[in-house]
Amino acid sequence: MVRVKSRYLLCEINVTERKYLLQLDDRAVAAAVREAVGRIHGDYGEALCNIRFSVKYLNAHTGIVFLRFSKRFYKLLWSALPFLTCVKTRGQTIPCFLKCLHVGGTIQTCQKFLIKYNTQQLHRMLPNCKNEEEKEHVRKAIMNCSQAWGRKKDDDDEVRSEEDEEE
Amino acid sequence: MSAAKVKMREKKLRNQPSNVQYSSTHSVDNSDARQGGWVRGHHRDAGGYAKEMPKFITGGTFARARAAEVNAMLKAVNKTPGSSYVFAALPKHMRRRAMSHNTKRLPRRLRDVANRMREKTYQAATKKKKEQAKNKSRKARRRHGNLLLEFNRRQRKNIWLETHIWHAKRFHMVKKWGYCLGDRPTNKCYRPCYRAMSNHCLLQDLSYYCCIELHGEEDKLLAALSQLTSKDTGPTFASAVCLSGCRQGSLTVYKAGQYPSHPLGLVTFLWRPRTQGSALRQLWIWAHPTLKQDLLAELQAVCLCSEAVAMVTPVEAHPTTEPEPEKSSEAKLVPGKKRKRNHKDSSEPSAKKILGDGTRSTTSPVTWKSSLTGIIINDLTMELVRFRLIGPQSHSVLTDTLEAATRCEVLCKEQQPTHTSSLWWPELCKDESRMKLHQQQADLFHTLKSIFSSSELTAGTVLSLTVDDPRLNLPTKKVQALPCVQQAEEVCEEKRRELTLRGVPEHCCQSFLWDQSVRNSVTDNKIPEQTLNRMRREVLVPGSRLSPTPLQGRVPILLVHQPGKQLGTERTGWGAGWDLLLPKGWGMAFWVPLVYRGVRVGGLNMSLKHNQNKATPHFPHDYPDCPAGVRFQDEQEAELLNKLKRRPPAKRPNYIKLGCLAPLRCPWQQLAEEWELISRDLREEKTHDGPVEQQVSPLGGATVKPQHFTVLRSRSSLRLLSCWCRPSSSKGQRLRGVGESSPLSHSAASALVEAHRMSVVWVRLSLLSKGKPELHAMLCAPTAEDLRLLAKEQRANGPQEPPHKDHFKSRIGRSKKSQKTASPANDTSQSSDLVIGLWPDPLPSVSSHCSRVMLGWVTQGDFSLSAGCGEALGFITVSGLIHTLIKQPVEHRGTLLLRNPASLHYRFIKVNIEV
Repeated sequence: MVRVKSRYLLCEINVTERKYLLQLDDRAVAAAVREAVGRIHGDYGEALCNIRFSVKYLNAHTGIVFLRFSKRFYKLLWSALPFLTCVKTRGQTIPCFLKCLHVGGTIQTCQKFLIKYNTQQLHRMLPNCKNEEEKEHVRKAIMNCSQAWGRKKDDDDEVRSEEDEEE
Repeated sequence: MSAAKVKMREKKLRNQPSNVQYSSTHSVDNSDARQGGWVRGHHRDAGGYAKEMPKFITGGTFARARAAEVNAMLKAVNKTPGSSYVFAALPKHMRRRAMSHNTKRLPRRLRDVANRMREKTYQAATKKKKEQAKNKSRKARRRHGNLLLEFNRRQRKNIWLETHIWHAKRFHMVKKWGYCLGDRPTNKCYRPCYRAMSNHCLLQDLSYYCCIELHGEEDKLLAALSQLTSKDTGPTFASAVCLSGCRQGSLTVYKAGQYPSHPLGLVTFLWRPRTQGSALRQLWIWAHPTLKQDLLAELQAVCLCSEAVAMVTPVEAHPTTEPEPEKSSEAKLVPGKKRKRNHKDSSEPSAKKILGDGTRSTTSPVTWKSSLTGIIINDLTMELVRFRLIGPQSHSVLTDTLEAATRCEVLCKEQQPTHTSSLWWPELCKDESRMKLHQQQADLFHTLKSIFSSSELTAGTVLSLTVDDPRLNLPTKKVQALPCVQQAEEVCEEKRRELTLRGVPEHCCQSFLWDQSVRNSVTDNKIPEQTLNRMRREVLVPGSRLSPTPLQGRVPILLVHQPGKQLGTERTGWGAGWDLLLPKGWGMAFWVPLVYRGVRVGGLNMSLKHNQNKATPHFPHDYPDCPAGVRFQDEQEAELLNKLKRRPPAKRPNYIKLGCLAPLRCPWQQLAEEWELISRDLREEKTHDGPVEQQVSPLGGATVKPQHFTVLRSRSSLRLLSCWCRPSSSKGQRLRGVGESSPLSHSAASALVEAHRMSVVWVRLSLLSKGKPELHAMLCAPTAEDLRLLAKEQRANGPQEPPHKDHFKSRIGRSKKSQKTASPANDTSQSSDLVIGLWPDPLPSVSSHCSRVMLGWVTQGDFSLSAGCGEALGFITVSGLIHTLIKQPVEHRGTLLLRNPASLHYRFIKVNIEV
């Protein structure tokens, strides 16, 4: 198909302290990425960052970020991401690093991956719960999302098999 | 971004997850900030976030946050963006064309969305569609009941005859006079129809003719009707043969007491034969539908009948025959009969329901009564069916088709004496005197078989008969009805001679068709076609005749002889035939058996040709002085103008250049007025012989009040005229010495001109050489030179008219130009009147426009197959004709010139006036 092609990077922001997480916002993340690219690739990189670069989604609770790069030079920009060490927001510097989980051609594939990833996370978490209350929460959360997921696809089996492997 | 675009975008991103973050300005721990900080809340239902992150990870919050995110992503993945179509959500290789109208072909997850969208589009579509009526399926439309409803709806404006559907399949139908009538057949059969008329038989449905019934004492009726007629024009209502009921008469009706002027039109009439012990008489007047309203008004005025009677059946003239249609007779009914009754009870839409007729509305009254004279006028339009059979073999077709009713004595005896049948025929069979009469009528009908040609009988003979249902002996194949003269024996010979010479005796003309109750009973008790077919199926030997004849299968009919060509010397008796009068509802039952006897069926077109060949005036066409004729001329003019305008201007004949003033409509009044002036000038020239007096005459002419022109119908004057233009008969016909009344002289001629100043006379014209006369061809007087040319060579071609100049063409061009430049308002009225090639309205002098003096116009013209030359019917002014005749030498008397409207060539014609 003839269209403007992009790459979507699904990243997780890892912070040292969890309380910083809530202070993140999309503009701050975008600025941090641009600063890191500029630092690594110079003016050229910074200019590339002006072309169709944006933060499509940011969840301050989970620290998930969708970054959009143009497909032509996403690798160049991507290569600068490990050098991002802090995000400056509200006069604070939050030390953090980005962990890329998935690279997708459309935002939908990223979303689908995220669903899969999160449910996997939850399932992995369930056997490690310390008390009953916590277990109950996690189970409820799993039920919540797996019901919705089950309506669409029967991926549960696959997830369960993965879980079995873990154990 | 415009508001609409924002809206679209919003809609598109409705399901996409938005950022989950706290706005930078608000303090984190404010509870309100949570709502403000959320840009678009998708987690509201999940609601699993803490206000502030604890320093350590708790499983609950972690899990809740993940779960909420998963839900948001799921929503984004599952829901298609708002603007995209449902099918776009499917990958290409799974899309199918048929999905768009069968949603079951879609994957189940997309079905309800697709259904919803489909409904939405349907609603939008139905809004448009609701305006047009929802069409039923063809099958539903063709179902019998629905079909009948549809038929009734379609004939609300123009009434259908009973044979309409038969005709509609085979004829070009025209809507005329409030009816749907067949004009001409769709197959090519002009000559076969002519041959049928002259050799065998041509059938026409004339049910659209209107019948008016007068009911009252004889002397009072005659007194009233005598005001409408004059003895000058021929036999009136009171002529002895007609009054006895043995003959049908025809005459021209005038407005009451205004004989020479204000004619109404041609009617035929039929008296009911006298019945013993009753002074009341019944009279049927048959009139053309265009004439009916005028005639009815005049009759009401004459008979002083103004009180409309709501629903009154006329007084029974036969006290002995009182059929009781109300009483049911279950014992004798055939199965089909019962069914019909049931249908009627349940008030279904009745089959052939005739709502009013073409000449009046449904609600208007049909009966008028006079308290002074005791006359009852009854409008019987559409109550009777009238078929016309034209041709020498029409009697053999009739004798082949119809069979005199068989008696049903056996059944009568079986009946209980107390039980009276609802049917009229079994009742009648009990009466011996009536059966004797029926036997006589049947005998007469049998002798009819031995007649050689229909024209042998006296004109207007009436024969009454009761016949069996003609459907019962329908031949399996179409056969040609042939005469069976050889069967005639010696005994029959005598009877035959009596029939041809004396006609039908008076008592044999008495018919039950005159009785309304019998008519109604016969119509109501008609066996439907379906039942008849079932009975046929049950016959043991397939194809054999049904016997015994069912009780309802007796129909009273009247056979009325139609005279052929009576006037003139050539082809006497051509086009004679019979009229068949039936009670309503029986049309198709008689029509199909008649058609199966090998007759041709003709339409309106053929009746015009019939009249032309028979040399009789045809009703609305050849009566330009009647109101109906004037209306017809208006219609014809509009029609011709339309036809002319449909051609491109370059392809139209330029009538101005051709010197034809009135190609669309004949200005009779102007012509008559002009000839009146001319004749006065000539007369005064003769009497005074001074040029001084001549100048006075126009003034004198101006003072005379302009009269309305009339058609000359006085027989004595016509006889005189016909003698005068006879000397050289057309086509070398033998001269017949009719009693020479008075030779053409100046004194006699001027007396006649004086008597009929504003009159035109109806003439028959035949061309001497080649040529085919057309509608509205001009009739002119030849000059002395032309006649010399004719004397030199018998088949001379005739003179030419020098072409005229068209002064209007330039004016049309100019007005068009001025329309373009100047304001269009003032010019439109002038230019709209101008049609290229037609004279604008105030015509110049009609009579002296061309090089030959104009005398009149042709109203019908064609190549006559019977005469083998062009023949035309037209009108000529009396004064013009006489002045021309006087000038002509004896051997060429009655020779005129004819020029077609689209030609410059004059042809010689011979004038015949036949009385």
